[in-house]
Amino acid sequence: MPASRLPVRALLAGVTAVAIALTASACSDAASKGGASGSTKGGTLTTQFAGIPISLNPALGGSGGSAIFTALPYDSLVYQTGDGKLIPDLATKWSFNSTNTELTLTIRDGVTFTDGEKLDAAAVKASIEYFLKAGGGDVRYAGPVDSVTAPSADTVTITYKSPYPDGPFFLTQYWGVGQIIGPKGIADPKSLLTKSDGTGQYAYAASQSVTNSSYTYVKNEKYFNPDAQQYDKVVVKVIGDPSATLSAVTTGQASFAGLNPTTAANAKSSGLKLVTAPFFTWGLTNVDYQGTIAPALKNKDVRQAMALAIDRGALASALGADYNQGNGQLGAKGTDGYVDGYGYEQDVQKAKSLLAGAGYPNGFTLTVLTENVLDNQTTISQAIASDLGKVGITVKLDVKNTVPDFIQASLSKKYAAVIWPVIGATSAQVLANFIQPGVTNPFGNADPTLTKLYADAQSAADASARTAVFEQITKASNDAAWFVPVVSTDNIFAVGKDLTGVTASALNPNPLPIAPDPAYAWKAAK
Amino acid sequence: MIRLIVTRLVLSAVLVVIASLAIFVLMSFVPGDPARTILGANATPDLVARLREQLGLDQPLPVQYGEWLAGVLHGDLGQSVLSGDPVAQLIAVRLPVTLSLLLLSTLAISVIGTVVGLGSAVRGGPLGRLLDTVSLVGLALPSYWVAIVLVALFAVAIRVFPATGYQPFVDGPVPWFLSLVLPVAALSLGGITIVAKQMRDSALDVLGRDYIRVLRASGIRERSIVFKHVLRNAALPSLTVLGITVVGALTGAVFVENVFVLPGLGSLVTQATTSHDLPVVLGVGVVFTLVVIVVNLVVDVLYGVLNPKVRVR
Repeated sequence: MPASRLPVRALLAGVTAVAIALTASACSDAASKGGASGSTKGGTLTTQFAGIPISLNPALGGSGGSAIFTALPYDSLVYQTGDGKLIPDLATKWSFNSTNTELTLTIRDGVTFTDGEKLDAAAVKASIEYFLKAGGGDVRYAGPVDSVTAPSADTVTITYKSPYPDGPFFLTQYWGVGQIIGPKGIADPKSLLTKSDGTGQYAYAASQSVTNSSYTYVKNEKYFNPDAQQYDKVVVKVIGDPSATLSAVTTGQASFAGLNPTTAANAKSSGLKLVTAPFFTWGLTNVDYQGTIAPALKNKDVRQAMALAIDRGALASALGADYNQGNGQLGAKGTDGYVDGYGYEQDVQKAKSLLAGAGYPNGFTLTVLTENVLDNQTTISQAIASDLGKVGITVKLDVKNTVPDFIQASLSKKYAAVIWPVIGATSAQVLANFIQPGVTNPFGNADPTLTKLYADAQSAADASARTAVFEQITKASNDAAWFVPVVSTDNIFAVGKDLTGVTASALNPNPLPIAPDPAYAWKAAK
Repeated sequence: MIRLIVTRLVLSAVLVVIASLAIFVLMSFVPGDPARTILGANATPDLVARLREQLGLDQPLPVQYGEWLAGVLHGDLGQSVLSGDPVAQLIAVRLPVTLSLLLLSTLAISVIGTVVGLGSAVRGGPLGRLLDTVSLVGLALPSYWVAIVLVALFAVAIRVFPATGYQPFVDGPVPWFLSLVLPVAALSLGGITIVAKQMRDSALDVLGRDYIRVLRASGIRERSIVFKHVLRNAALPSLTVLGITVVGALTGAVFVENVFVLPGLGSLVTQATTSHDLPVVLGVGVVFTLVVIVVNLVVDVLYGVLNPKVRVR
């Protein structure tokens, strides 16, 4: 054997050995890594979220599903279970006065913030007051707060300027106003971006996190109910790409992930459990309700004709019938105020007849604002435009490529109609999108009937009375056809085999891992 | 050579300013408003206006750029509009990921491309024809698509490599390497075929020269001819292609980092662009410009090393 060949062979042998070692290591590495480890309690839970946190300060952070970044370290006053029930958290009980304008909460005893400060009514008052002036985008959900007082060490009273029975709902883990920040954090809000100051089950670990990529939360040893803490660590990975999300949850790198209908089908075939719940109600909002720039829209018959033109079943099938339902009324099925067997269905002849009666026998032309971020590939918008074309209404879609651009365009008052999804646990919450100024009411329009019903819902004496009003709202909304409902789309989540306890419903379509009561918490599968 | 390096470094400062200005101007045309992004659909116009003022977005564009540039000259790249983190800190955390990806890709492209290209030129026959075909396919396949296929094959179907994520080198070289195998493969495939094709064509050209025939006639060993003479001369045009390919890989890294969920500069700039986080986009833009400058400088220096004529000039 020539001496000169030895190094080459040695090199080949070395490379082969390293390759084998790496492969073996990879196999063992892949096998040992799971989204949730540990047979019962302890270990690490890894979840996915599609977007980056708006802020780690609860007063400036996001709501709904994006609240995960702040809900882990900040306990809320009230907790909403997967089926939508409100149960105690930092507030052990709460009640309204007879006019639904004064909410009194009893604050839990024996709770401390991660910085060592004690939780009491004064701290809760300070946190809510800070939220109200912090400048966050979700401040409207706090309601028409007039004052917050702490009449005793364990009692907080929130006084509203007008009835606000949704108050406790918006004090849950999904809304910043309910997530209580410690006094030290309030004194130095910038510190909240690197160090959490809550009473939650976990504390933010900046040193183990990478901004906009992965957020690590470690067990809070001071948490008031250790029985409810299921994991030593929770990691929230920011994964926006749908195929990467699917890969992560399929290979066990994440135990929980949000999917779309396409990736959901693949996840299902991979044996993953899917949890779904109706979330968005898509529709066309006639924002120029008074006909300022599109006179035709002032006529109720025209708006009803538009609602009758839509083939909702066909659109739901096109989007994927497993996770989308044609919906001819304001709220999604399962929400409070949904009326079974009620709603708009397609009737082209009646639509044409209404248009003719309103003085538009040949229809009219309408520029409709939409976007292609939430309405992927503008599938929904194009279907609406096509169906309206069948009754003579020529729709020109103006598609924006970003949500902020869409919002800016809508607020410019240059569009008479917009296509945009709405959400709400009750028909009144959905209705609030239209009767309050904002992206779906840029003209600041009002409808006396709907405004009165909304007020009635706020002052209704009890839950059954409220439901009755909610149903009236659903019917009055369809009669006004301010909002033309089209389709309800589901939130879809994949749950790894190593995880149990994940539930969602139309009333709570965004599951979160934590719960003050272990009965509602996510757990590692045994 | 020293003069070349000094001149390039001086020019690079000018280039950074021009590049950042171009990014700033382009971003100003992108519709949307960071304040609206942060506050969401339900924020009142007053609230949005207040935040715009806090973030300095109410200032005229030249003032905003001037303030940013003044900060950079004092070593401050500003703060992320969204997270409030210093941009320099965000970049420092993510730079090792992108550099790891780029360095390993450069290594893969240069070594594999050279070996395959040279081998097919020397051996010829079916290997050469195969390389011609494969190089076309390699060029046509986008790294994003290759990444998805690699994940489906080697992370989901055969669970050899992790599907997503990055392991820092300090956690151990093996997990670090394994976390980068698929991303590097996705990023390198196109570059390997380009460099291999260039190397093959250049090597064939050199092999046909008279002095190679003279060397062979003089009894010089074939291995010596190939490695000392053919490779050295054929490497020059391949080096140019390699430089262009590595710069191209920087763009590919943006897509690959998103597919493999790597916390690098590519995924950072994607998030920053969609959320109109201008200081972050500008900061990453500066780093990318510097990487391009360094790559070009290295190529120029290597040119000088390989070709004495360039050194003299």
